[in-house]
Amino acid sequence: MRFVKRTWTSKEAEEWTKEDTITVIISPLIYVLLIVGVALSVLLIPVGFMILSIGVALLLVMIYIIDPKLSAISRGYEKKQKEYIEELERKVKWEE
Amino acid sequence: MVPFGFLDWFWLIAFIVLMVGSGVRFYRLGKRSESDFFLAGRGLPWWLPASSVYATHTATDTPMWVSGVVYRFGLSGLWYTFYAAWCSISAFVSTKIFRRSLAYTQAEWQSLRFGGMSGELLRGWVAGWQVFLNMFVLGWVGIAMGKVCGFIFGWPLWVGLIVFSSICGLYVITAGYWGVVMADFQQGVIAFIMIVIVSIWGIHAAGGAHEIIDKLHAMGEAGRLNPFNFTGFFEGDFPVAWFITMMFIGILGGLGMATAIDWFPEAQRIQSARTVKDASWSIWAGSALVIVRNALWAAAILGFFVLYPNLQDVKDYEMAWFRLGFENLPAGMIGFFFAAIVAIHISTISTHLNLGAVYITRDLYHHYINPNATQHQLVWVGRAGTLLLLLGSFVFGSIMENITEWLIFALWIMAAGVWLPGILQVLWWRFNGWGYLTAWVFNLVFSWLVVWVLPAFGVIPHLRDYQQFWILMILGALVFIPVTFATKPENMDRLVKFYVMCRPIGWWGPVKREAEKRGLI
Repeated sequence: MRFVKRTWTSKEAEEWTKEDTITVIISPLIYVLLIVGVALSVLLIPVGFMILSIGVALLLVMIYIIDPKLSAISRGYEKKQKEYIEELERKVKWEE
Repeated sequence: MVPFGFLDWFWLIAFIVLMVGSGVRFYRLGKRSESDFFLAGRGLPWWLPASSVYATHTATDTPMWVSGVVYRFGLSGLWYTFYAAWCSISAFVSTKIFRRSLAYTQAEWQSLRFGGMSGELLRGWVAGWQVFLNMFVLGWVGIAMGKVCGFIFGWPLWVGLIVFSSICGLYVITAGYWGVVMADFQQGVIAFIMIVIVSIWGIHAAGGAHEIIDKLHAMGEAGRLNPFNFTGFFEGDFPVAWFITMMFIGILGGLGMATAIDWFPEAQRIQSARTVKDASWSIWAGSALVIVRNALWAAAILGFFVLYPNLQDVKDYEMAWFRLGFENLPAGMIGFFFAAIVAIHISTISTHLNLGAVYITRDLYHHYINPNATQHQLVWVGRAGTLLLLLGSFVFGSIMENITEWLIFALWIMAAGVWLPGILQVLWWRFNGWGYLTAWVFNLVFSWLVVWVLPAFGVIPHLRDYQQFWILMILGALVFIPVTFATKPENMDRLVKFYVMCRPIGWWGPVKREAEKRGLI
């Protein structure tokens, strides 16, 4: 069995899983690596290129992990969106 | 004064025509409905709201702010600009939840999440606060443009304030959010290209990357190259305690909503994305661009520091990036640079004009005044609201110099004490509208006491901003948590519907079990 699940039903994707946990840990780390990596790379400092490369590699890993799950959530949700919009208009209406 | 030649004026006029034209072109789409005028019909692919996030948060005052902190602290100053990091978690947590709610605004979200009187009071409060805040931001950014025009052309402040915001108002009034987002894409591309060109040009003007590093070493300022150049755990200008607090606020804030001022424009972009997935990636990518932009600027500002190491007045060094461009670009490119500054400026102005107008239209007019308004009426109210914000921003801009300190304080108090409740409204089913309202009210009281009154009377010392944050957060929690438990939970039917639609994470066990019992999930 693979460590990261890449095939999801809409129902499965609704639950919080380890793929979400991994994503919310590495996502801010990518931002940190990008900001430091770009600044140092523009100044041609070698460690900057290394940091930037790690940031880009982690970004690809994050997309690999979370994109299939986001697609499954979207597939399930968008089927119901029209009904939800009608519900929203009814629910938020001001009533005397 | 910066000399402008024929080619410079050509670039400037051509870009203004292009930018305004590309916005006005979407007039027919914008006028179709309220949803089109404010959310582009909820049909945008991820890269359009992403470019709008980036363009909106690249304002005329942004390079001044980044220049100021990087000139003072070196690359450590980058962390002052790292607040966009909340999007790194929000993209995969609160963005998803908010997109599923379909609420037009954060005010409307309040009446979905909380019911009864407390939900209505919160909606009215958030809507009113946002109308004021958008007007204020418009004035703030407008006056920054006035300063830039004063630097370049020697114009009085009011000319730069009024002329470019008015030009922008043309396409926001005609095409609404369609015009905003389409022009933002084009403006974002122009601005990013110019940021890259000017930054590299600036580094070259300072002698190149290696020369900058050598000079910093020779000046005994090599610490400026270290992004983690702390001055101690609690001591100095850049203590570890401040850094930890900033990371805590910035990153964990993404679990909630309205934990950062930028959440409000982002909320509109989230709802304009065509799918939940598009919403998530748009927020992530737009903020990643903001982060990269800050890093580009920072490298160039180090070059400026090497060229002008002894500037003491903030008014001198906050113009660093502008000076790099205007003092070093060749003839003909100056106009191109100024056109990019105009792009930077109006992309922010357009967002706040349309964003303020959505609160006026959706949350005040449509909700309270005329619930049965036609789509045609709503679009026209949106236009009138846009004009009102534009005129209000001129008033704010003209008195900004006198009120800035008070307004920064107002922004701060709206951030510190409601940060935790902003998260709890998403993560905890038992948190109710009365608890959230209490947090807002007591935050106002505690902020005055902790930041102004008690230090003025010598009761407590003047605290640093990160210390104020922790104290205000704890004091607020000591009030709103008891109030939450002392008042009834939200109605279970409402909570179940909300849960099924939005699927929030965190402590929602009882609501989830009830939804399962009813066969809804």
